[in-house]
Parts: sequence; structure tokens; C-alpha cells
Amino acid sequence: MQSINLFDFPRAIIHIDGDSFFVSCEIAKNPKLKGKPVVTGLERGIVSALSYEAKEKGVKRAMRIDEVKKICPDAIFLSSDYETYSLFSLRMYNIVRRYTPAVEEYSIDECFADLTGLRRSLGMSYENMASKIKNELDSELGITFSVGLAPTKVLAKIGSKYEKPSGLTVIKGRDIRLYLEKTAIEKIWGIGPQTSSFLNKFGIRSALQFILKDKEWIRKKLTKPHFEIWQELRGESVYKLETGKKNDYKSISKTKTFTPASRDRDFIFSQLSKNVENACIKLRRHKLSAKKIFFFLKTQDFQYYRMEIKLSHATFAPNCILNAISGHFEKIFDSQKLFRATGIILGDLGAYEMKQLDLFGRTEQEEKFAKIFKGIDEISKKYGKHSVFLGASFQAMNKKQHKNGRGARSERKSNLFNGESARKKLYLPMLGEIKD
Amino acid sequence: MKKRKILDSERMFTYTIFMISKYKEKISKFYHKNKRMPSYSEAMRLLDFKSKNSVFKLVDKLEKEGFLSKDSKGKLLPQNMFSQLKILGSVEAGFPSPAEEELSDTITLDEYLIDNKDATFILKVSGDSMKDAGIVQGDMVIVERKITPKNGDIVIAEVDNEWTIKYFRKIGSKVYLEPANKKYRSIYPKEELKIAAIVKAVVRKY
Repeated sequence: MQSINLFDFPRAIIHIDGDSFFVSCEIAKNPKLKGKPVVTGLERGIVSALSYEAKEKGVKRAMRIDEVKKICPDAIFLSSDYETYSLFSLRMYNIVRRYTPAVEEYSIDECFADLTGLRRSLGMSYENMASKIKNELDSELGITFSVGLAPTKVLAKIGSKYEKPSGLTVIKGRDIRLYLEKTAIEKIWGIGPQTSSFLNKFGIRSALQFILKDKEWIRKKLTKPHFEIWQELRGESVYKLETGKKNDYKSISKTKTFTPASRDRDFIFSQLSKNVENACIKLRRHKLSAKKIFFFLKTQDFQYYRMEIKLSHATFAPNCILNAISGHFEKIFDSQKLFRATGIILGDLGAYEMKQLDLFGRTEQEEKFAKIFKGIDEISKKYGKHSVFLGASFQAMNKKQHKNGRGARSERKSNLFNGESARKKLYLPMLGEIKD
Repeated sequence: MKKRKILDSERMFTYTIFMISKYKEKISKFYHKNKRMPSYSEAMRLLDFKSKNSVFKLVDKLEKEGFLSKDSKGKLLPQNMFSQLKILGSVEAGFPSPAEEELSDTITLDEYLIDNKDATFILKVSGDSMKDAGIVQGDMVIVERKITPKNGDIVIAEVDNEWTIKYFRKIGSKVYLEPANKKYRSIYPKEELKIAAIVKAVVRKY
């Protein structure tokens, strides 16, 4: 049978994926953890990442910590240290950018990069670029990455998953079918359980069977995104890389769980207030304002109570948002229920600009708030986040987010250098203490 | 008495030039960031002026200098904003502010201490095995990964799953780790010696 794609690299896209990233960062800091079942997420009570050794024992992501203790009693539990993970993440992007400016920061532990057309200027093949990038990542960061090189994003992602950990898989246009034959349909990025069980009914189990279906069939039976995946799998690049810095946000959300669960209205409101303040800090950092707010409360048995409010004018001030919420909070709050989390999503975002003065002099008020929050942001920059906060957040700010081990500080926060504070630390990742 | 007055006015003049260059810098920065010129009220906030009138006065001055201009509706347009930095050094009267050119050869502490930023990490010293090398309890060491150590480098090695800091010694094909404290013995690796990073600097903040 003929090849699906006649060219090796009509485009050359690489996907880079940190191997159990959070845990790898922890092991890079503490070699004692090597070869042990390690789990992060202690502060939330839920597994956020796990080592291969923990995976072997049956531990899964999002599992509750007490469940893990049952099936894997010798597991080592760590509080997440997102600051360190983020520092490693930025370095991952930086190292890839040594080769190409076209990098999509897909998530904290993954990125795509477009290498197309760089063979001449870098004087090497795409395979060599991929292996040099991997080598620099592994040796400079001290953790391993899995890399896939292919003509499209979807194929590159199959490549990076193909051999884990620390694999480098090159899928040339000509060899697509060899790899897709061994890839189950549900393992494809963008194909969910619904679609894969639907396709199973037509006898389609592997990615190869999927791409051998003709165009008309795919178009008739499936949706446009699936058709795009079909094209990508055949080596026709449809998905563009989103290389811009991630600040064209469509929405900004902040959610936080607290333990123990509570019925206390004021406490729960203060939790929500803290989330609103955090969301607004992010909003202002990106010079945005929001016009739509969506807030929710989550009960102990994971039910959501939610509400959406449209504001009459866009804002970046948490007090304005809380004003709007407080009128509706009672509608979703139920004192009979135990709540465990609150959350806020800010939508309908626009660049913050001085607006025309409206009928009720809102803009004048906004201008005042602009001054106040500019001051608050400057104080935070100097003394750390939440040096100044709203009275409404007082209870949440002055109580530990979690009882017992949960909410435990990460190691980094309790091992400071002279001159650092828990909120203001050096921007270099710390690898811990040197023993004699 | 008269002499003093001249001095004062000279100082005043220098100060004005200094402030105007600050204002220009702020306006240029705003332009860079927002890809447009500020409105008068934005400029008022930007420059910390109390009134729009003072903005108008400044704009007039800057217009005469050719730094910016106004369109038919009076809105600000960029003019000669970027060559301005160089002109600074050739202002005729008063003392030029510290010339950019002179300072361009200085580096920050960061640049001084760090070569490959993406491969640089910090560790905290506990223990006294490198005391005679001047590295003591609580010190911060700045280390870089992915460098092959040379004889005499101070390195971070992994020994029995712990970080240790020692001199790296290489005699012929034999390698070992040497402390800088008589109380400790050198470490001769039984198998492979795992060097994680090389110490580039020690920082101690009092």
C-alpha cells in the first residue's frame, strides 16, 4: 500500500513533555527520592503527580492521599512546590528557544516548537536538532524529557508518548503508518472516550484504521475537530502553534479547596473573597478588566452551586466584584450543606483603558480604584502578595487553608536564605541542602 | 554671594534637564509598551503631575525640542523619541547626566555570578567540611550543571544519595573528592562518581 505522506518533514514540529514533571523536579532537588514511590499534592490531599515507582503500585493521578496510603504504604508524600516547577518550566521554554523562536508554551510541563526551515541556518538535520534539544534539557535541568518529532502537532504528541520516560521518537511522513498501527484510537490527543467508543463500533481501534477511512466518511460521521485530527494524523499540518506569550486570556479563574469543610457562611465568603482578590491580581498583571463573573461553591460531596453575573461595566477591582457577588451569594449558599471549595471565573475580558465617563460617574470611581490598586500592587511587589487585602478575605487569609498535613509548606518555603522571606525568594531553583 | 546664586541657577538648570530626561524616558516606555502615545490624563498619571496644565507645558517644551508633536486634534504623536538618548550627552549647558555610554560596560551582580542562567541552581551549605576553603554553614552556593569538572574545581557530587561539596581531584585517571577540613577524609568512589554541578560562586548575606 502506498505511503500516507510522501515527504519526511513537510513541516517539522517537536513536542516536548517532562517525564512525571513535578516529581522529577523534586528528585532533582533531593537525590534520596530516586527510585522510590513519590507522590506530590500533599497540600491538596490529592495526587498531582507521581513517580513511575508509584505508578507501578497502582497509584493514579487525582487519587486521594489516604487511598494512596492504603495501596502503597511506603509512598513518600510531598507538598507541591509550584514555584520551583514554574522555574524549571521557564527554563524548558528558554532552552528550546535557543533553537527556534516558534515555541508554544502548552502547559507547565509540555511545549511544542516549530523547527521547519531551520536545517540550513543551524546546519543540522531535524533529528539532530531534536536530540540536541533533548540533551540540553536533560543535562542542564537534571530531569528527563520525552520528545516527539513529526510533521504535525498531533503526530509529535504521539511521538513524545511513544517511548516514556526519556524517549526520542521521530515520526517521518513516510513512516506514519508504522507508528499509527501501534497507537490505540483513544490514545490520540483530542479524541475522547465518547468518540473512541463510537469509532470502536465501526471496527476502528487503531489510529491507522482511523486514517485509512476516507474523507467523506469522516466528514459525515464526525465533527470538524475530528476531521482536523484525521488530517493531522495523515501528516497534513492544520494546527498552528500558538507562540504568543500566554496573556491573551479568554478567562481567568481561581479555585481553592479548604479543609475541614465548612458551613460557616462568613468563612466560606471569605474564601471566595480571597479567590476574587487573587483573580484580580492576575487580571491587573495582564492589564485587563472583566465584565462577566461566574462564581461557585462546591460541597463536600462534589456538587456545584453556581451563578453567573454580568456587570454593568468592566472592572479590575475585587471590591466591585464582591459587591456584585454579595447580592447573590445567599441564592446559592445553603447553611445545611458542607462546602469544601469556592471558585471564581472572570470572563468577557478586555484591555483596561480609561473609558468615557458614564452617567453615574462610575469611571471616576474606577479611576480612584485604579490609583488604590496600583498602590496595592506596588506594596505587594515590595513586601509580597497579600500584604494588603480586603477585610472580606480576613478569615481566609488568617487561617491555614488546610488542617493537619494538608497546607503543609513546601520544603523551599521553610528553608530560606538570609534575606529571603516565604513570599520573596530568589529566582534560581534551590536544590536543597548540602550535607558533609 | 553672587557666585552662590549662579551656582544655584546652574544646579536648577541641571535638575530641570534631569527631570525632563526622566519624563522622556517614561513617555518612551509608555509608547514602547502600548504602541501609542499617552493621552493628557494618562500622561498626568504617568508623570505624577498634579494638573493637566503642567502636562501641556511639558508637551510644549518637548514639541519645541522635536521629541514629539501634536496632530490636528491636539493628540500626541511620537517624533524624534529614540535618538534622544544620544543627544543627552551633548546638551550644551550644565553637566550631562552620567553618560549611558560609560555605564554600558558595567554588569550586574547577576551577570557577574551567573553564566548559563538556565543551568544555574542554588544550594544551602550545612556542615563544615569545606571550612578552609571559606565555605561555611548557611552559605549559598551558586552551581552550574553540564560542565565537565577540572582538577581543583569545587563540585557538588551525589554520594550515598546526598549532596556533598568537595574539591574535585583528578590525578591521571584516578578521581576523588577532597574536603577542605582536616577532620574529614577524602572520598574515593567505589563505582562511578556522580558530579551533579560545579560551584561557580559562594554568596553570604549578612
